[in-house]
This record gives sequence, C-alpha cells and structure tokens, in this order.
Amino acid sequence: MTTFLALAILLSGAAPAGLCEAPPEYYKIDLVPTRRVPAARQATGAAHLTYTESPFGISVSPAGHYRYDVEVVVENLRPAPAGVYVAWLSTPNLKEVVRLGPLTDAIRGRTEWNKFLVIITLESSARANQSRWQGPVVMRGLSRSGLMHTMAGHGPYEQEPCTVYGYY
Amino acid sequence: MPATAADTLVWRMPPMDMSMPMMPGLEDAVPPALPALPDQQAMGIPVARPSEVVSLADGDTLHLEATLIRRQLGGRPFVMYGYNQQYPGPLISVTRAATVVVVFKNELEEPTTVHWHGLRLDNRFDGVAGLTQAPVAQGESFTYEVFFPDTGIYWYHPHMREDMQQDLGLYGNMLVHSEREGYYSTVNLEEVLVLDDLLIDSHGLIPWGQTSPTHALMGRFGNVMLTNGVTDYSLAAAPGTVARFYLTNVANARTFNITFGGAPIKVVASDVSKFEREVFVESVPVAPAERYVVEVHFEHPGEYAITNAVQAINHFRGEFYPHVDTLGMISVAGAPAAPDYGEDFRVPRTNTDVIADVDSVRGFFDRPPDKELSLTVRVTNLPVPIMMAMEADTLYVPPMEWNDAMPMMNWLSTGSQVTWIMRDAATGKENMDIRWDFALGDIVKVRIFNDPKSFHPMNHPIHVHGQRFLVLEMDGRRNTNLVWKDTAVLPVGSTMDLLIEMSNPGDWMAHCHIAEHLSAGMMLGFTVHRAPPSKGSSGD
Repeated sequence: MTTFLALAILLSGAAPAGLCEAPPEYYKIDLVPTRRVPAARQATGAAHLTYTESPFGISVSPAGHYRYDVEVVVENLRPAPAGVYVAWLSTPNLKEVVRLGPLTDAIRGRTEWNKFLVIITLESSARANQSRWQGPVVMRGLSRSGLMHTMAGHGPYEQEPCTVYGYY
Repeated sequence: MPATAADTLVWRMPPMDMSMPMMPGLEDAVPPALPALPDQQAMGIPVARPSEVVSLADGDTLHLEATLIRRQLGGRPFVMYGYNQQYPGPLISVTRAATVVVVFKNELEEPTTVHWHGLRLDNRFDGVAGLTQAPVAQGESFTYEVFFPDTGIYWYHPHMREDMQQDLGLYGNMLVHSEREGYYSTVNLEEVLVLDDLLIDSHGLIPWGQTSPTHALMGRFGNVMLTNGVTDYSLAAAPGTVARFYLTNVANARTFNITFGGAPIKVVASDVSKFEREVFVESVPVAPAERYVVEVHFEHPGEYAITNAVQAINHFRGEFYPHVDTLGMISVAGAPAAPDYGEDFRVPRTNTDVIADVDSVRGFFDRPPDKELSLTVRVTNLPVPIMMAMEADTLYVPPMEWNDAMPMMNWLSTGSQVTWIMRDAATGKENMDIRWDFALGDIVKVRIFNDPKSFHPMNHPIHVHGQRFLVLEMDGRRNTNLVWKDTAVLPVGSTMDLLIEMSNPGDWMAHCHIAEHLSAGMMLGFTVHRAPPSKGSSGD
C-alpha cells in the first residue's frame, strides 16, 4: 500500500470564515513539484507566512525587513525509495540558505529576507548540520515579493531599454 | 482653502528619485484640482516657537488658537499653521480623570475643528465636523470640555482636511499622568517625540489640493523628516540614562520604524494603556496616529541616532532597497546618570492592573465576529499610463508602504478619482452609509479584512473614535500580550479582529487615519446608545 506523506495544516488559527476569505492566502507560497523525483510528481504544497509575534501587530527587523514565521505544508508526497525530503529557505540568488528540516514533522522556520525561495529537496540523509542541499530539488516556491519585477520594457515603459538598467 | 489664490499658484511636480524615468505620457500631467498653499509672502505672520508645556488641573481653562505662523526648516522660511504659535502645539499635561475647558478660536481662513484623538470624552466635544459639531469658521470659537479618563499619551488635531491642516502643523500632544505612584517605572528622563514628515522642494512646500486632496492613492509622504517640528532634533543624556519616550506619529501616511542607535528598547504602553507585559524590542514600528511609550537604556557614552529604517521599494526596478532617515541625535556624555535605573530596566514588568482590566472582557474573546468589514478601493478617470502601470505592478503589493514608491502616480490621484472603501459584509453598505448601532456596555468583535484584490491595496491604520479596543488576533494568530488601543494598522491581505468596548455613548466615527484615505471616503459611523437600540433602528 502506498503511504502518502501528508502534513496537516498547522498554521495556527484556520482562515477566518465568511467575508474574510482565507486571509493568509496573500501570505501563501505555492510549492510546485519538479519532474526530477517521480514520487513527488503529484505532490502539492504551500508555505504559509504569518508575522512573528510582535507587540505591534506587524513584525519588522530594525532594518525594516518583514519577519515571518514560515510553515511548510506538503501533501501527496510519496516516500522516496531512498533518502529524506528536507525543506529549505534560500535567497533567490541562492547565496544564503537556511535548513528548515526533514519533512517528517511540522516544518517551521523564520525568515526576514525581502525575497526568498522555499525549496524541498531529496537528501540522502537527515543530517542536521547540512548547510546546503545536495540532492535533487523536489518542489519549490517563490515568495510573493519575488514576483515584483522591473517595469523596463513593458507596460507604460515599453520603450525603456532593459539593458540600460542592468536587465538582460 | 485659503491661501495663495489658485490663479497665482501653479503645480510643481514633487521631488522624485531621478533614477526612475518619468512615466511616458505623464510628463506634463498635474492633479485635476486647483493647488493651494498658505500665502508664503504674507506679512505680519508671527514667528513660531517650540512647543511649551501647559500643565492644567481639573477645571482649568486653556485658550487655543489656530493661526498662520512663520517657521524655519533647515534654514528656510515657511508660512505654515500652528496652535498658539507653537510647533507642535502646546503639550497639555494633566492628571488622569481631569476635565479641562479648551476655548478654541480659529484665525485661519478655512474652517476647522479640534479632535482629541484617543480620549473617551463626551461625544459633543469629539471635534468631528458634520457629525458632532459644525465647522469652526474663521474668527469663530468653539468651547470643548476635554475629559481624560485614561493615562497615556494622546494628541489633538483638526478633523477637517487633515491632509493639509495637520500636515501644515496643526497637532499637539496631551500627556496624561496617572494619579498612582509607580504607574510606570522610574526613569532618569522623559521626552515626548512627535514624528512627522513634510513634502518640500527647492521652491518650498508642494501645494495641496484646494478642494480635494492630492496623493489619494497612497497618502502624502514627505521627504523632510520632522521630530518635534524640527529637522535637527537633539537630546543630551548622561551615561546610564534610562529614558522614557512618548512616541506619536502625526504624519499623513508614513509608518515609521524607529530605532535608537542600537540602544536596548523596552515597549511599555501604547495608545490607551500599558501592555499586559513589557517586552524588549529591536525597533518600534509606529503607524499614523498610533502612539507607543518605550523606555531606552543609554548605557554607554556616545552618539545615538534616532532613525527610521525601512526596506523601501523601487517599483520601476522591482527591488527593495534599505533606506534610513536620521530623525535626531542623542548625545550621551558626562558624569553617570544618578540614580542608576539600569537594573530595573533589565527586568520587564508584568502589569497586573492591565491584565485585570482585560480580564473583564476575556470571556468575549472566542465569540464570532459581530461585524465584518472589508477594505478596498475604487478608482475612476486616472490617467491611462497609471492604469497600465498598476496592472503591471500589482503581482506583488507590499504589506506596508514604507515609502512613496510611485510619487508621480500618487501625486496625480485626487479624492475625486479615488474612493477608499470600508464595506460592511452583512449589508454591502459602504463608508458613511454604514451606521451601526450598539448599546452602552456592548463588547463588540469587529473583523476587518484588507482585501489585496483591488486596484491598489494598501495598509490602513484604523482609528475608532470615543472607545477603546483590543487587537485580539491578526491572521488567525491570537495576540498574547494585549494593550488597549484606539488605532491599529492592518497590512495588505491581513485580517484583524478588534474587540471594542462600547463604553462611551454618542455618534462616533471609525476610519483610516491616512489623511488622504479619510478624505477619500474611508470612514463609517456608529452610535452607542444609552439604552439598547430598538429593533429595526439599525442602519444596516
């Protein structure tokens, strides 16, 4: 029998009902499977962001970065023949990486990066001291802030050459 | 508005980050409103002086006058507005439970009122034009009886065209002392800090809209920071000083993120009470109209910059970038502070009096919402390039707008094109068509959702007049350290549950405290009846 790894939605407080349609929706990062691991091709998942606890409601660092608690929820991810699924956070340029942990329990972390990726990889072991992933990327998602992009070359700036601003 | 006759005044484009190219099609565009500005050449205008403390006892009378004043900012002269020829207006110092009489006289050419922000005072004196009183015309007076039921820091400002009148300098603080010893920790010094910004170019003040505010989309962000009305605020302290700062954000639209040069900060209180528990924080985000009371320990000699540090956004490049404004300097030097309160500072207090107070409504925490609101915006007749840009740029909208990331588009939008909306989920009614009815003593849960699916979603600091409330939850997360508030900021896409104690009868208003959003409609009315409202009387 195939066992599916299904992590319950652990975001504290379910989405309020009624008018307030899933308020955390705006702070949800969809995780999309790659094709690299067959056991993960039907997987779905998301990372949910909530502000870290703060006396001010919003939570920001002294430099003004939003501070989020991140909770990763994955469903329909079949166990791999070998190895362990591990969740990570990374800056978009992959220069900084934080290991959230193996997908065997509630996966929670914290970030204050402006833009970031949520990555699920298949690692050979669950070594906690691993600073970067070595196995294949199984799922990935981009923070909504990562959707912000230059206007050069389109919209009202269609005639504005991207290269002048360092975009190619 | 008054001011320089519009036929001699022309629009000037606000200062912009020139690394962002001008949006094609908007090169010659100006807001569809006449510009207005106090006459900068007016003669005989008195030179303003810094704010003075006015200590009042129960029953005392204060004469307050709104006039044109002359000020220097960064060495340049400006004609602005002021209360009693001061910037900010007089700091009213009283003891809790006092009632004072304020005889207000308007010597400005335009009508105004005075709203006593955060005070649960008699409804007749709330200062809301068209709701609790008629506007005070030039040369006329209005007598307010101002009651101070709660300890803390409060502020007064006009409740007419706040976008212009408040921005021009009509604001002042009220510091309400507890009659109890030890309400706060003992500190070496106390300082009131009023945070503001002003939009200025090389020619002077950027005009405001005469009949309708400009900057209706995001609110008017200034490019010159003011702390207690000056650009070069400074304070001297001895090493080891524990200072208590009373912070008030009086800016039209800007949320500040305050640090004190890396000195440790303990947050003690907010709008209407202390927190249940004091907590150490690294910075203090303060939205428009909010107040925070913080204690800061300057242990070592040195220069400590008061800064506003944010991650600003360049929408053209699609990037965040760090931005820091220096709001003032604190010089710590000389002999050590005496007494040394450092040890006390390091131990955050649990405020059992606040916990006991909150206990009286704790039984209402888990009830379903009594009212639900969604926040959104409707726009018409904005220039086509703006519409195109917004369509291309709304894949991501920041939870909070820390800077004016689209100054040209924002400037061009006026209250005649932009309607900011509070919508009642139960009835579909919007803004002042909403008239909720409550009975005195009701404890009401209001759920507010800041809908991200709109033309231009933005954070909103929601202010409730005449009552106090708790922010119970944000995005489903229960708030574990409560404080009584009158204003709370709601980021884009978030949901906030407020528990409002209807303790003060009368006709009140709740609204967004971004001045331009308020002028663009974002307000509702509610009545707290002395007796339960009769069936069918509800406006919804």
